[in-house]
Amino acid sequence: MMDFFRRARQRFEAMSLKNKLVLSMLAGVMFISVAIAFIARWILVSSLTSELEMRGSAIAHSIAERGGGFILDHDHPRLLALIFDEVRLHERRRLVSYIFIEDQNNEIVAHTLTRPVPEGFKDNSVPDGAIRSVKLINFGETPVIDIAVPINEGLYRIGTVHVGLSKSHIDNLVSKLRVAFLGFISGIVLIAVYLSNRLSHYITRPISNLTRIADDVSRGNFDVPLLQSAGKDWNPDECPAYRDSNLPCWHFDLSAREQADLEKTEVYKNCGSCLFYGTREGDEVLQLGNSFRNMVWSIKLYRRRLRESEEKYRSLFDSGPDPVFVLDCDTGRILDANPRVEELYGYSRQEVVGMEFKTLWPEYVPGSLESNNPGSECLYRPKVLHYKSGGEPFYVNVHACSISYKGRRAVVVSATDITEMIEKDAQLIQAGKMKSLGEMSAGIAHELNQPLNAIKMGSEYLIMMDESEVPVGPDQYRDVVREMSTQVDRASEIINTLRSFGRKSDLVRERVSMNAVVNDVLSILKRQFELDNIRFDLSMAENGLEVLGHSNRLQQVLFNLVTNARDAINESTDDYQRRIGIETRQEDGRVLISVTDTGGGIPEDVRDKVFEPFFTTKETGQGMGLGLAISYGIVKDYGGTMDIESEAGVGTRFTLDLPAAPERGRKQ
Amino acid sequence: MSRRILVIDDEKPTLNMFKLLLGAMGYETLAASDGQQGVEMFDRERPDIVLTDIKMPVMDGIEVLRRVKELSPLAEVIVITGHGDMDLAMEALNLDATDFINKPVQREALVQALKRAEERIALSRNEESLVSVEPEDHQTHIRVRGNVTALSGPVLNRAFDEACSTNGDILLSFDENTSINGAGLSSLAGRMSKCVEDGRHIYISGLSENFRAVFEMMGIFRLAQLRQ
Repeated sequence: MMDFFRRARQRFEAMSLKNKLVLSMLAGVMFISVAIAFIARWILVSSLTSELEMRGSAIAHSIAERGGGFILDHDHPRLLALIFDEVRLHERRRLVSYIFIEDQNNEIVAHTLTRPVPEGFKDNSVPDGAIRSVKLINFGETPVIDIAVPINEGLYRIGTVHVGLSKSHIDNLVSKLRVAFLGFISGIVLIAVYLSNRLSHYITRPISNLTRIADDVSRGNFDVPLLQSAGKDWNPDECPAYRDSNLPCWHFDLSAREQADLEKTEVYKNCGSCLFYGTREGDEVLQLGNSFRNMVWSIKLYRRRLRESEEKYRSLFDSGPDPVFVLDCDTGRILDANPRVEELYGYSRQEVVGMEFKTLWPEYVPGSLESNNPGSECLYRPKVLHYKSGGEPFYVNVHACSISYKGRRAVVVSATDITEMIEKDAQLIQAGKMKSLGEMSAGIAHELNQPLNAIKMGSEYLIMMDESEVPVGPDQYRDVVREMSTQVDRASEIINTLRSFGRKSDLVRERVSMNAVVNDVLSILKRQFELDNIRFDLSMAENGLEVLGHSNRLQQVLFNLVTNARDAINESTDDYQRRIGIETRQEDGRVLISVTDTGGGIPEDVRDKVFEPFFTTKETGQGMGLGLAISYGIVKDYGGTMDIESEAGVGTRFTLDLPAAPERGRKQ
Repeated sequence: MSRRILVIDDEKPTLNMFKLLLGAMGYETLAASDGQQGVEMFDRERPDIVLTDIKMPVMDGIEVLRRVKELSPLAEVIVITGHGDMDLAMEALNLDATDFINKPVQREALVQALKRAEERIALSRNEESLVSVEPEDHQTHIRVRGNVTALSGPVLNRAFDEACSTNGDILLSFDENTSINGAGLSSLAGRMSKCVEDGRHIYISGLSENFRAVFEMMGIFRLAQLRQ
């Protein structure tokens, strides 16, 4: 039973809306009309039956009234005539089947039957004191409603009148009624079916239309006859947003800033009264059609806008000056690349797509470029090493922004080739170095002259002794020759230092000991400075102090700081304190080198400017103002910083703060 | 008797070599490793000749020269300069240094300088520099000996007036021991340019290598040609 209901419900739910409507309306109408019919019929049938019974009992009563005397007189012929009269009266013939009268002893004294009285005829007896008794009995073959009424004379009961009402006659009447009601109900049902059909058709036809259109739309066919449900006043080409996607209609997907800009404009105020999205008069179905039309239209416009935007960005992607890659976050493979990639990296687009980005950038780890910080979508990695298809390395600055690309998490990576910039940097650094060398040349010449002088004099001595044929004492000979050898070493060390200082550094950084850098610079400058009566106070850390960089660039930085310190000391009038302090130390992963002078200090207002190119506190012609700018660039390049502390009249301290090189044996 | 030479240099190896070399040349060598010490030692020992490096910490050679000349104007001080450092050399000459030697020290130059110092010691200090004018065929010969200083100006003037009054070239010859300081040079140059304006050709001979360099620097050779 339950199963049946469930199946019926499922079947009902699977039906089309039209059928559901028809069926439910029909069911409703049927239920109501059947209910009405049954109630009416019941009322009618019962009242008809009781009315006929009343008639029957009225007949019986009148016979009882009139026939009482005949029974007492035993006047049977009169009695018979009486009942025949009653039976034959007009239309009673069809209703009344028979009348018979019983006496006190239940003997039939008169009857209207034309055949012998069948058995079971006298089943219906009236109990004492009752007015009548009604009973359905079988009169031979036909059912008859027998109404028995007692005949009383005074207090005594002298007999009973039985009136048999023809049941078939009554049933006939009832069935006529039934037919009438059935016809009525069928009529109503037919009308209901027709109406519900029409109604459901009216409701569902636009819906099926909309369904069809929606299916078309979702398949990408937007050229559906939108005008199906549209009024004649509606022409898509008249929509201003069709041609101008900057109209306020687009306000729902503007960024907050654009939105704010838009709200100030006049045109935004017209949005509320846009004709295009105006509703028309009509019922819900029409409204639905309208809304649907607007929806499709707006999707159409959106697609158009999306396409425009895609084309715009595609053209940006393709025409941008820098190589741009789209990477899959999960696999680290390249999903897309623009033509610049081919030009710069030397791979064709077919080769690049699907390639692992690691091939171009060995340090890349898939997923490492995703910004974990939702506030900033983009990451910036300056000066990383990429490789061309030939394996040639070059430097780029990398910008990476997370996006979603064809349903996958992706990163857009743009790489700016900074080779040229680095070249220029290197040239500038080189120029700075050459300038430093130029500044140093007098000092270096002097420095080189010292060992040369000793060697020269030693050799002149030996020659002189040889010429004058005086034998040289073995001790002296040994002293001279050893001294000469030592002095040659000293000279070549100076030359080597210079050579390494002047050499153009390549791109690869190496481990450089800061102490060695300080010593190299001092080996060139110390004597000169001492001739200038400047003393060095050195405080060098024991070990470690290694940074990743280029020794000669770091020498250049230190050289610049030390010569600046000297210039500061020479400019100040204090002749007693001519000292330069150099301190190297290591603090939690940083290597710190400070150069302190006892000069006049740097005024507060120019302290920020000293790192700017061409800014100099020296007199015109004394300095180019590039030394510190170049030094700052070098230090920044190594991921370090440069700080100034200065006090007027006391001196200045420059502190370099560089990241320490990772411990040996450990990969970066 | 062997002369005593005080050598002042901050380079220990150089000092050692000087000792050996000068010892082999027959001098007695005193050594000081900085200017202060050198001046003190000079004051104490009063050597005949002082050889001093110019570039030294604490007290440089120019200062040493000045102090030594204060202590003893007659002291012969030879300064040792870096190669081609003519400015310092001129400064030293103006402070009446005897001569200057370039580093690296050539034995020849050292010997010359010492010899000049010896000669200057030998020459009477009171005597003015000797400038003589000798007319020869088709040229006038001006001979210069001793020191040319600011004091030599008038003498030189006279000599040049005489020489320029004649028609013909002028030969200016210097003795080996001639030492010329800045003031002497500028007055000499002034006189020479006047003669050149008068259309004279001037030839120079007999300069020591050092002074040739000094003349070159002062632009004297734009006015005169060197004749070996």
